[in-house]
Amino acid sequence: MPPVETNRALTEEEIAAQVDSLAADLRHSELAAMLREDHPFYEQRSAAAVVRLRGWILLALARAGITDDTLHFVLEELDNGLDPYLVAAAARALRSYPAANSAFAPFVIRALGNIRGHNEPVSFAAYGDYVLAPGTGTSPIGELLETLIWMASAARAVLAEVRALRGPAFPGRLNGRLDSAIQAIAADPPESAPGMQEAACCDLRGMLPWAQHSLHPDQKVIFEDDHGSRLGFEDVFRGHPTIVVFFYTRCDNPLKCTLSISKLGRVQKLLQERGLADRIHTAAITYDPAFDLPARMRSYGERRGLSLDTGNRMLRTVEGTASLRRHFKLGVNFVESVVNRHRIEAYVLDAKGRIAYSFGRLQWEEADVVDRAVEVLDSADARGKSGSAGTAFGAMASIGLAVFPKCPVCWAAYLSMLGVAGLQHIPYAPWIEPLLAAGALVNLASVWLRTRTTHRMTGAWMVTAGVALIGLSRFGWVTSGLGVAATLAGSLVSALSTESRPYSTVP
Amino acid sequence: MAKKRTSKTKSAVKSAVKKSAAVAKSARSKSRASARIMAALNAAQPVTPGKPGDLEHMIDVLRDKEKPIEVRFAALQSLGAAAFSEPDFPSIQGDYTAALREVATDADSEMRRRALGILARGKDGFAQKKLMDGLKNPDQALLPPEKALQLLGNDIHSDAYPIARAMVKNAPNPTARREALRLLATDAASAPTFEAILQDKKEAPEIRQISAAALHSLKPEKLQEYARDILLDPSEHADMHQTSLTALTQFGDAELGDDKKLMNRVNRMSASGSATVKSSARQFLGKYKAKE
Repeated sequence: MPPVETNRALTEEEIAAQVDSLAADLRHSELAAMLREDHPFYEQRSAAAVVRLRGWILLALARAGITDDTLHFVLEELDNGLDPYLVAAAARALRSYPAANSAFAPFVIRALGNIRGHNEPVSFAAYGDYVLAPGTGTSPIGELLETLIWMASAARAVLAEVRALRGPAFPGRLNGRLDSAIQAIAADPPESAPGMQEAACCDLRGMLPWAQHSLHPDQKVIFEDDHGSRLGFEDVFRGHPTIVVFFYTRCDNPLKCTLSISKLGRVQKLLQERGLADRIHTAAITYDPAFDLPARMRSYGERRGLSLDTGNRMLRTVEGTASLRRHFKLGVNFVESVVNRHRIEAYVLDAKGRIAYSFGRLQWEEADVVDRAVEVLDSADARGKSGSAGTAFGAMASIGLAVFPKCPVCWAAYLSMLGVAGLQHIPYAPWIEPLLAAGALVNLASVWLRTRTTHRMTGAWMVTAGVALIGLSRFGWVTSGLGVAATLAGSLVSALSTESRPYSTVP
Repeated sequence: MAKKRTSKTKSAVKSAVKKSAAVAKSARSKSRASARIMAALNAAQPVTPGKPGDLEHMIDVLRDKEKPIEVRFAALQSLGAAAFSEPDFPSIQGDYTAALREVATDADSEMRRRALGILARGKDGFAQKKLMDGLKNPDQALLPPEKALQLLGNDIHSDAYPIARAMVKNAPNPTARREALRLLATDAASAPTFEAILQDKKEAPEIRQISAAALHSLKPEKLQEYARDILLDPSEHADMHQTSLTALTQFGDAELGDDKKLMNRVNRMSASGSATVKSSARQFLGKYKAKE
């Protein structure tokens, strides 16, 4: 199979030809990869060209058949898209999914609302075609109505909204199709509808893969915040979970950046209501650091209800922009310094600045994001407590073993030395020593088990050496002090070692 | 001597009469044109609110190349007004857009300009492609380059930046260069270009003013620095003094009031120079002296 050419010098028509070729060969995954916003095909292209290319790819995927792997690209356009060509292409593509699903209905209705003032004619006849005569081509509303006809009774939940579309502002030549959609939706479903699914709820967000991955910037990232302060990545994100959204002030889609920032403001309020504002921070990072200067970011955020302080910042990169883009795998591309396309993206970072949860492409709910951030906070608290308790117990067991008397006489000597009258009557118990030994071995085993997640061996080797030295001290070697020190130090190193998770791809 | 004066006077009178006749002719011509347009507007039957048929009729009139151009302009004007005022307009939005695209390649240059203007302000991809094709291949141009650049500037997400940059270096005419600079004012990478132009006294004041406006957006701290330098330079053009005073009065840092050299200079400007510069200087002093 010939490789896909990603040379930036390709013309739009050449890329479209590649797309057609991939569709003919059913190379579905390569087509899907072309829908990632950071694909080289979109570099240095106008937003209008990106629309043409993405729409053509969606249509190609529709010919091959939309699958679960590509469904979110389609739903994204219906959820947030305002471009007539892309919305129409997405509506057509949805009809190639194996079966209608009632969970699609809210997306279709939302698209009808979004595109109402932009129902411009589009042509799918050839790449780059535009409709030049009234009454020709298709339209986003036309395609959405066809999708409702396809969904039939699966769209029953939105029948009232579909009926409400009729009116003087509705395109007259689509009234017939609207009637057909209403009829199809209102009709009783066939008894055995192959592949028809009734989703448990009207929300497909649970179906989509929320990727979890860690963040290891390979280059120093320095931010400037909304008040002009310079901060490193660690300064901003270490020590607490953070909810992060990406935006830029020149975004012209009100359903993306401006809404994301407004929602972040509501997230801040939710955190305050739950008494978590000091423990979970928020950050908005601009895609457009050269233009979004501090005063501009501040004005943009404050007008949309953001509170700005040391725990809630708007940020632009002044160093390490490329590194930040690589490690978040940001869904964005540029023509010169201006964004030409981006997806909605929000993240929950843990207290070490690693990505714990990501929300991409579809509108995210403020309460969901806050709940995820609270999960991250709670799990960090629990790990801290259990980790500390385990470390302390294991270390004390080793210390106990090191100092435990070797015989009953020694036991008596210890007690008299301590001068504790009452304890003279505590008999020597030979079972205590093996118990302490077992405790020390349990500690040793636990630090070695921990290396499976941290991949850091230093602490484990130190504890091993410590236990060995304590063991030797039981045979007369003067190594107990060193053994105790090694055990304590090794247990501490193990407890503080960070977990290292493999990096996985965001859809 | 008297004869010479008489012949000079006669010549002056003849010239004045000729000029008056030309003005009168022009006025009559405009008046006839206005009358034609008024007749056309009446013939085009203004849109009746709540009657979509009227809107469709206007679209047909717009597209009909057999109709007089004034009538088609009138239809376009009616449709443009209806787009804002008619609640039923969305029902024919698609047809309107298609019609605009059709007449964007009309034989009449004014029709092309108006149609492409409406489409470009709506960030229409068809219009942008046509305008870009025209800039890259002048024989395909539907509009002059300065107009094409102006319309492409309606969308910061267009890919006109490389062409605009080339135009700044080598423009077919000064207006095209001006529009190219306006377009680049949204490109952060072009800040150095604007810095160089602002500091170049050989550039026309209008061009330097465009650069100042661009720097205010892209690098406000640099604008403040250069504005100060311009004010301290008595050989600078008065228009640039004016622009710099306005920029610093509106957007300057509070610390400017501590800049004695600058304050003294502006003080002197408030007492001498043109009326507008004096007025701007007083406003500047009013802002910064009040903070003392």
